Amino acid sequence: MSDIQSALRETAKKLLTEGTVTCVIGWGETRFPDKTTPIFVKTPEDAEKLVWNAHCVCGLAKYMLDNRCPEGKLAICVRGCDSRAVNRIVEDKQYKREDLYLIGLPCEGKDAPICATCTHRNPVVYDVLLGGPVPEIEVSQEDRFQAVTALEGLTPAEQYDYWQKQFSKCIHCYACRNACPACNCTECYADQYRVGWQGKQIDKAENQVYGLTRAFHVGDRCIECGECERVCPMGLPIMSQTRKILKDINDLWGNYECGLTDSRPHILGEFDLSDRDDFM
Amino acid sequence: MSRIGVVVCHCGTNIAGVVDVERVAAEAAKLPNVVFAVTNKYTCSEPGQATMKAAIEEHQLDRLVICSCSPRMHEATFRRMLKDTRINPYMLEIANLREQCAWVHTDKEKATEKAIDLMRMAVAKVEQNKPLFTSTIPIHKKCLIIGGGIAGIQAALDVADAGYQVTIVEREPSIGGHMVMLDKTFPTLDCSACISTPKMVDVGQHPNITLMTSSEVVNVGGYVGSFEVTIKQKARYVDHTKCTGCGLCETKCPTKVPSEFNQGYNKRTAIYKPFAQAVPAKPVIDPDSCKMLKEGKCGVCAKVCPLGCIDFKDTAKEYTETYGAIIVATGYDLIPWQDLYGEYGGGRYADVITGLQFERLVNASGPTEGHILRPSDGTEPKDVVIIKCVGSRDPHKGKSYCSRACCMYSAKHAHQILEKLPGANVYIFYMDVRTPGKGYEEFYDRTRADGAVYIRGRVSKIYKENGKLVCKGEDTLLGKPVSVQADMVVLATAMVPAVGVEKLTTMLGIATDPDKWVQEAHPKLRPVETQTGGIFLAGTCQGPKDIPDTVAQASAAAVKVCGLFSKDEMETSPMISGVDQQKCCGCGFCVNCCPYKAISLVEIDAREGARRVKKTVASVNSGLCQGCGCCTAACRTGAIDLSGYTNAQILKEVDALCL
Repeated sequence: MSDIQSALRETAKKLLTEGTVTCVIGWGETRFPDKTTPIFVKTPEDAEKLVWNAHCVCGLAKYMLDNRCPEGKLAICVRGCDSRAVNRIVEDKQYKREDLYLIGLPCEGKDAPICATCTHRNPVVYDVLLGGPVPEIEVSQEDRFQAVTALEGLTPAEQYDYWQKQFSKCIHCYACRNACPACNCTECYADQYRVGWQGKQIDKAENQVYGLTRAFHVGDRCIECGECERVCPMGLPIMSQTRKILKDINDLWGNYECGLTDSRPHILGEFDLSDRDDFM
Repeated sequence: MSRIGVVVCHCGTNIAGVVDVERVAAEAAKLPNVVFAVTNKYTCSEPGQATMKAAIEEHQLDRLVICSCSPRMHEATFRRMLKDTRINPYMLEIANLREQCAWVHTDKEKATEKAIDLMRMAVAKVEQNKPLFTSTIPIHKKCLIIGGGIAGIQAALDVADAGYQVTIVEREPSIGGHMVMLDKTFPTLDCSACISTPKMVDVGQHPNITLMTSSEVVNVGGYVGSFEVTIKQKARYVDHTKCTGCGLCETKCPTKVPSEFNQGYNKRTAIYKPFAQAVPAKPVIDPDSCKMLKEGKCGVCAKVCPLGCIDFKDTAKEYTETYGAIIVATGYDLIPWQDLYGEYGGGRYADVITGLQFERLVNASGPTEGHILRPSDGTEPKDVVIIKCVGSRDPHKGKSYCSRACCMYSAKHAHQILEKLPGANVYIFYMDVRTPGKGYEEFYDRTRADGAVYIRGRVSKIYKENGKLVCKGEDTLLGKPVSVQADMVVLATAMVPAVGVEKLTTMLGIATDPDKWVQEAHPKLRPVETQTGGIFLAGTCQGPKDIPDTVAQASAAAVKVCGLFSKDEMETSPMISGVDQQKCCGCGFCVNCCPYKAISLVEIDAREGARRVKKTVASVNSGLCQGCGCCTAACRTGAIDLSGYTNAQILKEVDALCL
C-alpha cells in the first residue's frame, strides 16, 4: 500500500511540476485516523498530503464539477468505481475526457459495505495505472440484487409500509444527490422553484416525490458506487431503489452495467425502431 | 382573471345518450373563471359554431373549452373557427367526451362523473394556455424518389410532368425493379416488360428527372420543404458521360457469374448491363467479380472500349442536395423460404422454385427464351405443383399477412403452363383463393376452365422419389391425404420489405409496422403519407400489393407532392418543444430519444460564476419537431417544454383530476 502511496505522490508531483495538470483530486488525512477526505492538490509541494489506504472511501469523480479547481486540465485518482463515475460524467457531456488525467489505482476494497459487491476493482479507464491490477471478485446476480429481491418478496402493502417508513426519515439534505456522479445536472429539478413542482417542505408526500424522482432520474445510469447510501445521514436504503431499476433492466435486456465506456447509449433514453414492444 | 367559456356537445345522441351533458355544463358553470357554460346539439355544425362566436363576443371570453369528440376529429375545425374571433386559436382545449367516454361506457351515472372530470381537467389546462402563433417555412420544389421500381417510376413521371424537378435514387445499376423481371401481368396477360420499359425510357429522357443508379441514400437531415439528403453513388468504373452503350466490353469480358436479373439461371459478365432494356443502357463493372479489380490483371474491357470509358480507379461519390419532399418506393423482396421451409427441401431441390424464378423461365427474354424447362435437367415438366402461401398467412414460420398478389400470379402461372405445355397437369395447393380486383375472378375461373386442379390444403412435405418430387398434403375438402408426383414445384413465396429498408426508415425518421412495412399516417384517410411531414409512400414498401394498386398509389403520392409544391411556403404547427438554455445541462438525453431527430446540441456563450464559458445546450429544429413530447419526459432538469402541452399544464390537469 505504501509503495503505491509514494508512487501516487510522485506522479502528482510530476504532473503538477510539468504543468500537465493544474490540480490533482485525491484523498488526504483528517483528524481521525480512520477517515480521509477529498483534497485538491494545486502545488507540487502539497502532493505529499495525498494518501492511499483502506479509508479512501469517498468517490472523487463528482468533485470535478465543483468549480474548486483552477482552469486547465484536472487529474483525478480513480479506483474502479471512480473510473466508472468519470465515464458517467463524460458520457453525460458534463466534462470532456481530454480535460482529465486519470491516475488509476487498483483497489482491493475499502471500508465500505458496497465494496463486497464490487465487480470492477480495477479502473476501467485511466491514463496511468499505479501498481498492478488486482484480481476481480466473482459477484453473482443474486448477491448484487440481494436487497432488492428481499423487498420484492414482500406484498405490495408491506412494500408500501416499508418505503413509507424509510421516506419519512428523509430530511431533504440532498446529500445523496450531491454525492451521486449520475446527478450532474447544472440545476437539479429539486432546486427549482416552480408552482406544482417538487415541494421543499419535509412531509410524506414531498419526500416520496423526491425519492422516487431521484431514483428514476439516475435509474438506468447508476454505476452502483453506493455513494448515495453511504452519505445518507438518515440511513435510507437508497441503493435498493436504483438497483430495482437495474434489476428490471437486467431481466428485460440481459446483464447491464453502466459506466464501462463513455459512449454507450442510455438504455432507457434512446428512441430506436427495434425497441422491444411486446409489453404493449 | 381569465374568462373561460365551456361548450358541452350532445353530438346528437352520441354523447348525450350516455352522458348527462346538462349536468356537465352545470358543473362547469360552478368552476372559477368559467363565465359561460352551455350545451349544444351539434357544436361542429354551422349554427353551433355561430353560437360559440356570438358567445365569445357577448361574454368577452378569452379561452374556450369544447367538450366534444376526439381532438383528432375537430380540433382543426374549431381552431379555424377561432381565427375569425378575438381569441387566439390555441386558447382552446377539447375534452374528449365521445371516444374516450360516451362510446366506451354504458353506465350513465359513472360516465357523467368521468365526463365532469375530463371537463375539469380541460378547464384547468386552458387556464395555463398561452397564445401561440404559426410560422412558415420555405419549400424547395424538388422531389427525391427512393427506389426505381414501377412505383418510383410512375411517381417520378407524374411529379416531373407537373413541372417539378425529380431525382430517382436506385441502388441497382438499372431502374425497373421487379416488374421488369415479370413475364406477363394478370389478368390481361399483357407483357410486363413491354408496358414498363417505355416508362423507363421516359424516365431516362425526361428533362425534369435526374437518374441516380447504383446509388443509395446515406444521410437525411432537415424537414419538410428542405430535406438535406446525401446520396452515395457507388463506383461504376465506367464513365457514363462518354459511354454510348455499344456493348463491346460485355462481349469480350472473360469473367462469367450468375445473373441476378435471371435469378441465377444464366450467366452475365463482370462488366454488364443487368438486362437488354436497362435504363441507363450503359454497363457497370461488378467489383466483386471483375478480375482486374480483384486480382489486378485482365483489363480487356478497357482495351476494347473505343471511347476509353473504363476507369478502374473510379471511387464512390457523395452528393448532397436539398429536396422539398421525399417519396419512399423501396419495394419488396421475397421471403428467404429456404431458411424457413426445410420440409420443401430448403433449397436442396433445383426444381422447387419461386414464382419469380418461374417468371424468368417463362419469359421470352429469359435464360430459356420462354420455354418452360426444369432447372435441373432442362427437360419440359409434365406435372407441375404450385404451392400458395409459402411464408404468407403462416405466423409460425413466416408472416401472418396475406401477400395479396400470389393467388392471381399463381393462376397466371397455371394458365401459362397449360398453354405452353400441352398435356401438362397443374395442381395448385391453396388455403383460400382471393381475387378482389377488376377481372380477377374471371381470370381465376378461366384458369380452372383451362384445367388447373385446385386442391384446398397445404403441402406438408416434398421429397424426391424415383426422379419425381412427391408433394404430400391434405385435400381438406375431401378430408383425405393426397400425394402428387411432380416434375417441378413453384412456390408462391411471401413478399417481405426490401433488404435495408430499416436503415432507411431510421434515417428518414418514419415508422414501420412489426413486419417492417413502412407505416402510413392513417390506413384509410392518409394512405400515402407518413407521420413525418413531406415524406410519402408508394408501392410495396407500405405492404404487399399488385401492380395496379402500386401504380395508383404512386400517382397518389405524386399528387401529394405536387400539392405541397404548389405553395411557396407552408405553415408549421406552433405546438413544438423549446429549450430553456439557462436550465439545460447539455446532457443530450433528449437528442437520443427524439424520434424525428429534431434536437441537436449547440454551443452557446454563458457565464458560470465569474467565468465566461462555452456551454453546450440542446436546440430544437422547429421544422422537424412534431410535438410528440418524448424530450420533455426525458429531460431531468425540466429545461425542455412543449408549447401547448407544457409541464405546468399537465400538472394542472393532474391536480384537477386528483385533488
